[in-house]
Amino acid sequence: MRGPGLTAGPGRPEGVGHVSDVPPPATPVDAVFVRRWIRDAADEIAANRDYLTQLDAAIGDADHGINMDRGFSAVVTDLAAVDGLAPGAILVRAGSTLVNRVGGASGPLFGSFFHDAGAELGNAAEPDAEALLRALRAGLGAIQRLGAAVEGDKTIVDALAPALAGFEKELRNGGVLSDATGRAASAAREGARDTIPMEARKGRASYLGPRSVGHQDPGATSTALLLGALARAAGRPA
Amino acid sequence: MSLDGAAAERRGTIQSVDRAARILKVLGRGSARLGVTEIAEQLGLAKGTAYGLLRTLEAQGMVEQDPDTDKYRLGPAMLQLGNAFLDNHELRGRSLLWADSLASRVGEAVRVGVLNGSTVLIVHHVFRPDNSVQILEVGASIPWHACAIGRAIVAYLGEAEVEAMLGDSPFEPLTGRTLVDPAALETALIEVATRGVAIEDQETIVGEVEIAAPVFDHRGRPVGSIGVVGPVERLHVEGTSSSLATAVKETARGLSRDMGAGRLAARG
Repeated sequence: MRGPGLTAGPGRPEGVGHVSDVPPPATPVDAVFVRRWIRDAADEIAANRDYLTQLDAAIGDADHGINMDRGFSAVVTDLAAVDGLAPGAILVRAGSTLVNRVGGASGPLFGSFFHDAGAELGNAAEPDAEALLRALRAGLGAIQRLGAAVEGDKTIVDALAPALAGFEKELRNGGVLSDATGRAASAAREGARDTIPMEARKGRASYLGPRSVGHQDPGATSTALLLGALARAAGRPA
Repeated sequence: MSLDGAAAERRGTIQSVDRAARILKVLGRGSARLGVTEIAEQLGLAKGTAYGLLRTLEAQGMVEQDPDTDKYRLGPAMLQLGNAFLDNHELRGRSLLWADSLASRVGEAVRVGVLNGSTVLIVHHVFRPDNSVQILEVGASIPWHACAIGRAIVAYLGEAEVEAMLGDSPFEPLTGRTLVDPAALETALIEVATRGVAIEDQETIVGEVEIAAPVFDHRGRPVGSIGVVGPVERLHVEGTSSSLATAVKETARGLSRDMGAGRLAARG
């Protein structure tokens, strides 16, 4: 529950985060923020590499964790070597590295997500939460253009679409970046879990038809990890 | 779709057999373990009827009951039947050696498929020879319009059949690149017939490319096709190496001769 005049900051649920009367300063979506997001995402993927691969072994080629880890390590190494990039340029560069370094469907899909999100941010040095939402939507659009997936197909989209809906809702309710990303992260986790009873309609898992039921989608799971990292970058433990 | 057997009965089939078959299909879904009540509900049967059918199937080893939960699942006889289907499949049997040698020649995965309605059924799959973990795709069904193995077969069907296949729209996209416009598919089929191979660029799965050629029988009919499938970064389509297309075509020709196709029929 929340409402105007509560002791917690605007749009912040009671009992979570700061307990101060002063609303937290809006975290800027600057280069530091974006780099923190990517680094944290890479750590998160690395820590869950075997788990992701295990999920993939049930309905895919058992290489998802390995591919994602290799890709994100390459992204972190590449970004460490360049300075002075705007947030958008950092994401574009990360996206290109993923497309080039990650095999299978994950490279093109996650790579285009970051690439198009970055392109949407443009040259802005400190885009706001609204701009970040637009960027993430552009990223979702890229994934759907490539994969033709809609919600319910047991793919990345099943975690990402509800996450962005939650992000937007939180902003419309007056939430700040940390609220929006926190809500997005939990919606993505739920979305990933919700893929378990689904029958895959896209990707290699769809070859299994009804046998794909009962397994959590690895791509949706990775998406939840990425959004968890985003929430942490925004200062909200997810 | 009617869940009881009424529709099937009207077509002159036997209701109890139809029901038993549908029980097996329900149990073949996912990791299904279902109780009698759930099965009866899903198929719109009386519980007693479902129970009788399950007991009969159990006696034949086609379903089995978990002693702890009393739930039913598919039984071991189903695996024997599945294997028997594959063992008796002539194209699959004759393709084993050809597929192995094609896979090692090009260093990629090879699949053999047959047309089954509007989908291609994979009857044989040789893993990419790189020791990586891969999922066995035998038994997978892929819409014909979205994959090279499907287009390689359909392109060589009779005119009326092709027309019927193309008329069976709408075609679902499996990726953003899947051809779904019947006119575009028709053009693609004409191209297949001209080149002797079908090439599909990330239309089934993002990041994957497939090159396939048709296999003919003694009547010159396309009985299936064989294709190489792999990551776009290695098989890049724009300049799909003529050596790869040649390898696929030569393999399909050899397999066609094994299937009894004359020299003229084993064209392409």
